Amino acid sequence: MVLTALAVALIPLYVLGAAIYIYFASAQQQSHRAELLDLAVNRANAVQLFLAERTALLEALAHTASLDRVDEPSELAGLLRILNQRQHSFVDLGVLDADGRHVAYAGPYQLQDRDYAGEPWFEETLARGVDISDVFLGFRGVPHFVVAVLRDDEPRPWVLRATIDSELFTTLVRSGQVGMTGDAYIVNRAGTYQTPPRFGGGILSTAPFDTSIAPPGSRVVLRTLPDGRRVLSAFSWLPSKDWLLVIDRDPREPLAPLQLAWKLALVGLAVGTVLIAGAIVFHVRQMVGRLAAEDRKRVAMEAQLAHSARLVSLGRMAAGVAHEINNPLAAIGQLAGLMEDLIDDDFMRSSPHGELFRTNVRKIQEHVDRTRDITHRMLGFARRMEPHQDTLNPNDVVEEALSFIEREASFREVRITRQLDPALPMIRSDRAQLQQVILNLLNNALDAVSNGGQIVVATRAIDDLVEVQIGDDGVGIPRELRDRIFDPFFTTKEPGKGSGLGLSICHTVMQQLNGSITFDSEPGRGTTFRVRLPRETM
Amino acid sequence: MAVRVLVVDDEQDFLDSIVKRLELRGIEVDGVGTGAAALELLTSKQVDVVVLDIKMPGMDGIEVLRQIRVSHPGVEVIVLTGHASQEFRELGRELEAFDYLIKPVRLDTLLERIQAACQRLGADCT
Repeated sequence: MVLTALAVALIPLYVLGAAIYIYFASAQQQSHRAELLDLAVNRANAVQLFLAERTALLEALAHTASLDRVDEPSELAGLLRILNQRQHSFVDLGVLDADGRHVAYAGPYQLQDRDYAGEPWFEETLARGVDISDVFLGFRGVPHFVVAVLRDDEPRPWVLRATIDSELFTTLVRSGQVGMTGDAYIVNRAGTYQTPPRFGGGILSTAPFDTSIAPPGSRVVLRTLPDGRRVLSAFSWLPSKDWLLVIDRDPREPLAPLQLAWKLALVGLAVGTVLIAGAIVFHVRQMVGRLAAEDRKRVAMEAQLAHSARLVSLGRMAAGVAHEINNPLAAIGQLAGLMEDLIDDDFMRSSPHGELFRTNVRKIQEHVDRTRDITHRMLGFARRMEPHQDTLNPNDVVEEALSFIEREASFREVRITRQLDPALPMIRSDRAQLQQVILNLLNNALDAVSNGGQIVVATRAIDDLVEVQIGDDGVGIPRELRDRIFDPFFTTKEPGKGSGLGLSICHTVMQQLNGSITFDSEPGRGTTFRVRLPRETM
Repeated sequence: MAVRVLVVDDEQDFLDSIVKRLELRGIEVDGVGTGAAALELLTSKQVDVVVLDIKMPGMDGIEVLRQIRVSHPGVEVIVLTGHASQEFRELGRELEAFDYLIKPVRLDTLLERIQAACQRLGADCT
């Protein structure tokens, strides 16, 4: 019962909680993916713009300058200053002839006369007129990349080359980093880092994934790192260069605020569960207790009804027997009486046994009287079993009840003391029921006292009530049993000796008679029961 | 004039002996075994007190009492029965029986009640 109630109350709560969490987590993931993609596209555009601007600057320069001017190093240094006026993004400038020889150089390194023939970017520039190289170590052993444009002059074409400040470029890319564990970097199609990632390797090392997992354009992909961590990656290919901008983020990190909410919800759920469970257990217990109490009451009622019915049928049987005996008994009595009447002086003289005859005929009548007392008591018992209202003196009822136990009391030398109020008023009540109560209490008192003990029966009037007290100096009632003595089937007697119904019946009967039954008891000293009755039951 | 008594009882041994004993005490007494015989006798003979059993074959004592109340209002009835049922006791009271005695009774007790009933009639009850 408790479990069913708990399930009905708690399962919807849990399901609702889980559903809300899953819904919000998924919504959060969705918006997070969209944010990440926006960021990647935005960074890719910024990088693209940066490269396009640098290329445009160089192209403008190459097409406005002439070779005989720019191969002067001082002239070239002046141009570098102009280029870097707005933003210091160019490290150096160089002019190469068609054979790849550095004919002029301006910058912090000694690169004059270096030969770049065969470098991929140089060949590409000659072929296509402009090129942005991948990052490489170059002659200096420092990672960098170059932008080169071709001035297609005849008969001497030349190439203007510039090194891009890789720090500035890296900063531009890294502004796409988000969170504690986020990363932003560029790899080329071969998977080589073009800017240093925050974690897992340096520039020019190889990224731990195949760039073919990034489809053309932009896309968010959930991938697994070599160390087993899951990472959400936004990929965006640059439109004009074969570079892939990657922004990584721990997929759990944006859920952190939700985790806190989830923890709070769990605490709420736990508290709610405890409260609901407590309330249910409390109420169910109360209900079960009430049902059990009702059940006990019903059992007691049934037991009492059965008891009453048994007594009524017993009474009827006794009455039937008494009736059947009374008629022949009356005949015996009258026949014997007639014989006594007929014994005259003549008879006494004529028979030597005359005196014996007379004595025996009288004895027969005496025995008839004795038998009559018994049958009349049986008839009285039967009459008492039927419920009705009698006008009675409680003292008489006490005396009648005492007559039932006096024999046993005298066998056991139990002294019975009467303190009956002779001025007690008559009351209206059920004589038989009252007698049963008093008899039950007297029997209990007799069971409680030891041989030679004492029972005191007292009556008195209190205002509109009449009280009967039955006290004994017996064993008393242990403190811990006092709440239970009126319970049906509660008994301290040996199995089979007591029904456990006596006091329960007394209690019920006294309620029916609008009276009360109470007791005082001191273990080892004795017990006194008090029965109080109204003068009028109705 | 002495009290005149009618005893009605279906128990023959009881009836015979009690009639005999009352006669021995100088009382004018008749005894019959059924209610019908009692009513018949009452029409032909003056009786002061009827001693009436309740449980009898044929007409029972209550019915006899009821008819006596209708036809012979000047007669006192003492119920003498082996049955102590409250119902009969109430009926007897309603029909103004003089007393309701449970068998067996000593003859002295019965005589005393007969005398008392007779006195209520205002008759000469020696």
